[in-house]
Amino acid sequence: MRIVIAEDSAVVRAGLAEILADHGHQVAAAVGNAEDLLAAVDQHQPDAAVVDVRMPPSYTDEGLRAAIAIRRDHPKTGVLVFSQYIETRYTADLLGAASGGGAAGVGYLLKDRVADVGEFIEALSRVAAGGTALDPEVVSQLLRASRRADGLASLTPREHDVLALMAEGRSNGAIAAALVISERAVEKHVANIFSKLGLAPSDADHRRVLAVLRYLES
Amino acid sequence: MSAPGGNAAASTSVLMRFLVRSWEYRRPRLWVGVRVACGIFNVILGVLLLASFRRLGPLSWLAVLPLAGAALIFWTVYRLQQDSVLRVRELEQSRAYLVDDSAARLRRIERDLHDGAQAQMVAVAMKLGLAQEKLGGMVGGARQADLERVLELVAAAHRGAKEAITELRDLARGIHPPVLDQGLGTALATLAARSEVPVELTVDLPERPSAAIETIAYFCAAELLANVTKHSGARHATLEVAHVPGLLRLRVSDDGTGGARIEAHGGLAGLAERVATVDGKLQISSPPGGPTVIAVELPSHA
Repeated sequence: MRIVIAEDSAVVRAGLAEILADHGHQVAAAVGNAEDLLAAVDQHQPDAAVVDVRMPPSYTDEGLRAAIAIRRDHPKTGVLVFSQYIETRYTADLLGAASGGGAAGVGYLLKDRVADVGEFIEALSRVAAGGTALDPEVVSQLLRASRRADGLASLTPREHDVLALMAEGRSNGAIAAALVISERAVEKHVANIFSKLGLAPSDADHRRVLAVLRYLES
Repeated sequence: MSAPGGNAAASTSVLMRFLVRSWEYRRPRLWVGVRVACGIFNVILGVLLLASFRRLGPLSWLAVLPLAGAALIFWTVYRLQQDSVLRVRELEQSRAYLVDDSAARLRRIERDLHDGAQAQMVAVAMKLGLAQEKLGGMVGGARQADLERVLELVAAAHRGAKEAITELRDLARGIHPPVLDQGLGTALATLAARSEVPVELTVDLPERPSAAIETIAYFCAAELLANVTKHSGARHATLEVAHVPGLLRLRVSDDGTGGARIEAHGGLAGLAERVATVDGKLQISSPPGGPTVIAVELPSHA
């Protein structure tokens, strides 16, 4: 994959570039602010951009706004946003941008998740391929804050686990591996979840993520 | 802090100030009343003496004394009142400055932590994560026992670094919640989403209160929602915040068991103190059996 990195901390930027290069990905540009990020994406048209939320000059949500702009202007570039803190509002903004856009995906991870190199690379590949990658903490906050407690209560503990992993954006295969069960079993759980929650079944991973998240937020 | 009303101090009788000063601030109304009464008494006395001018003859000049005394007393009352007004204004200003200054300082600390220790630890964890992956790929080759040991060590260091990130994050969030930079409404939405008891949030903020007031309101909401989760046994809570001209009102209610009250060194006592630093009010209604309603009222600018 060709990647653009935007992160204001030089040590973290170097660490990210190292990990990506080590896994055979090409870092087209590594920049330290949102303005340079937008210019780099325009110039390199990367498969994905890895974007820190807080960057100069105001250190609030420059990265997030840039990410939304990239989703709008470059439908083929996936955006993986990461930050030191999870704010549920950011999730809604990003997913709003994603559902309005084309095929490419969005992701939102806690910064320390990057340290789990394998999972980070997996999430980035998913986003670059048009999928979704949400941090487990985002998902647990959404589940906790959801007003659909009755629907969620009708799920078995196992179905609840599957729902959480599905909301993170994982494929059936990945869910099966994470829970150490067969893919057939995952498919069965997913079908049960969709029928219990009254959702129309969907094959594409990112579409079903959006369906699940819309359900949780409605 | 400079001495309040320096000019008044110079022009008011030093002895008078010395005598009344300490009492002045404790019972201001009483002392103003006493002096006005003395002044009126002197005026009446002077007028009576003037009226009996003929009978007193050469002693009639004595009438000037109570009249002059009355004038002195009225003038002193006026100066002292001015002095008090100046002092109160100055205290308000200095306190507002302190409150704003400490909010700015906390924001700086949070940013330093974020840019410094947190970034550093993230980088360490990333490197360790990579090393772990690499070593994992090499296990099975020569000196397998050594490699496994190295892998174990790196994995432990990796866990440690990640724990440090979590700790730093909690520390930084306690010092200044970064989401407050986005406004109180967004910060409260995040707080409500994080609560274990479902929270219904109502926000009516047509304009932003000052940063210091937002910070106090945020920590009040955080503490009150934590209390709901820890103590109330509630199944549902509401969090309302509204900005009316000059005031920020925050209300947290729950359908729990009630019985919340201010105890020495308790969380609510700490909140009440924090609210009082800006002349705010905290009211608790929590009969046994519930429901609990806690209302906080803050000036919108401090």
